[in-house]
Amino acid sequence: MLKIDSLSFHYGRRSALKEITASCDAGKVVALVGRNGSGKSTLLRAIAGLAHPSGGSVSWRGQRLAGLAPARRALEVAYVSQRPSLSIDLTVHEMIALGRFAAKTRLDSILRIDQAIGLMGLDALKERSFHELSAGEQQRCVIARALAQHETNGLLALDEPFSNLDPGETMRVVGALQQSAQAGALVVVAMHDLSLVDRVAENVWWLEQGQMIAAGAPIDVLTPTKLEEIFHCEFVRGAQGLTLAARV
Amino acid sequence: MTKRQLLGILVIAILLVTGVIARLLIGRDPAVGGVHFNWPDENIFLLRFGAVRSAIVGGACLGLSGLLLQALLRNPLASPFILGLSAGAGLGAMIAAWSASVVGTGSVAWISFIAHGADGVIPGTVGSLSVLVLVYALGRRGGRLDPLTLVLAGTVVATICGALTLLVQSLMPPSSRGDSWMWFMGQVPELPSSGAMWTAIALLFCAFIASFQSGAALDVSSTGDDEAESLGVSLRSLRILLFICAGALASASVALCGPIAFVGFVAPHLCRLLIGSRHRALVPASVIAGAAILVWADAVRQSIDVGAGRLPIGVLTALIGGPVFLMVMRSRRMRAGEWSC
Repeated sequence: MLKIDSLSFHYGRRSALKEITASCDAGKVVALVGRNGSGKSTLLRAIAGLAHPSGGSVSWRGQRLAGLAPARRALEVAYVSQRPSLSIDLTVHEMIALGRFAAKTRLDSILRIDQAIGLMGLDALKERSFHELSAGEQQRCVIARALAQHETNGLLALDEPFSNLDPGETMRVVGALQQSAQAGALVVVAMHDLSLVDRVAENVWWLEQGQMIAAGAPIDVLTPTKLEEIFHCEFVRGAQGLTLAARV
Repeated sequence: MTKRQLLGILVIAILLVTGVIARLLIGRDPAVGGVHFNWPDENIFLLRFGAVRSAIVGGACLGLSGLLLQALLRNPLASPFILGLSAGAGLGAMIAAWSASVVGTGSVAWISFIAHGADGVIPGTVGSLSVLVLVYALGRRGGRLDPLTLVLAGTVVATICGALTLLVQSLMPPSSRGDSWMWFMGQVPELPSSGAMWTAIALLFCAFIASFQSGAALDVSSTGDDEAESLGVSLRSLRILLFICAGALASASVALCGPIAFVGFVAPHLCRLLIGSRHRALVPASVIAGAAILVWADAVRQSIDVGAGRLPIGVLTALIGGPVFLMVMRSRRMRAGEWSC
């Protein structure tokens, strides 16, 4: 179980997260939504144990992640940042294999890497240089690295993983994340595409100015009235789920 | 290691061996001038072999130091010379030598150790690491390390350290200024100080083991701070360990050969061209490549007669390394901002 207890975070004097409390069981997908600068990325970094909170705590299966050594934490949590970067020249296969850096066994690693490459549809690209890929292909590559890294009952934290993907690839990633959740992982995804939330997540955590203003099932939380109030756009919920109607 | 990596290392090793043979064969007759290619008699052989040893150890230290700086800072323009570590090491060693001459450290053991520590390597390491901390702080822009700002900061700090070294040098007794001038220009000594030589070898050995063991972690650290930490690398420990190695190696090479430009910059790039980017292979390759470049530079220097004595070694390394630096700076990946952290 992921448990966030009165979590606060400051960048210098600016408060980025204020007293956030939430929890979720493994085996689910949680969508973090909110406007730009609302604190989604900071919360995701704190959940992944990468940002040390100024108050409160994040624990995963009873352990405080920020207090764990990186090698130990990497066995529990896999993280995908908003902007993938790589300063050396590696092939797609080599990049994905970095996900197994902290893993104990080599044999299992080979299998996990091949599975992740297959899941993200990167077989044809695996000998290509990471730097030669399009932004969307690079995004799939780092998601594959996280899939190769995380344990079946671990925690996956992804920061806007759909931002550079075409609709087909978006659905491929959605499928892979749901598959991980069904296998026992907890998947936390920061995302902007609200029309996708219904399809991806069982739970939504809605952040506004560093505070969690709503949490629950997408249909209960993302109401057109509430969305219009925050985003100043008109939304419609129909048979196809949530859609953007028009700009006001 | 892959076949390509082994083949690449073999090519670099052959480059080193041929360089050593060339340096042992090329000689100059100071009486009549001109260049000779012959197997020397025993006394001359010992001098040439001394130069070969200095070039191998000094170049290897520079090659590994450059690789570590480029990897840790995620900056292809980094090297101990360009970031000012060599100048900082020179200043540290010069201040130690000057204070020893003023205070007269012979009677106080601990002052003597700090001042002369391993023929200047210890005060040099303090100087190079101090410069590294300063340049690292100055090179940050908006919380991120900017590759070109880092280089600019390194160049300015190196210039200031160079000026301070000259100032301290001018305060020293006239009898010892001549030697320090030669050292300040960069040289490959035929009679290297045994203290500096053995300290450099010991440091090189320790740094090599630490770097080789950290090869996979260095690969992972190239993904960015958050990603590297989330993949299981303790960046803080890695940086502390390997920055100390890079600083100590820069200091060891300066104590042995003086500040020599661009060897630490060119060696890792040459290796990447031949064997790719994996650090497990780059570490041994850069050690051998650094040695090969300096041995070849010294051999070529012997064969150039400009009618005014031998060329300073730094002239050759800068003539080769300068254009390579400009090429990397103007490369597509630098312009695309792929090298930044």
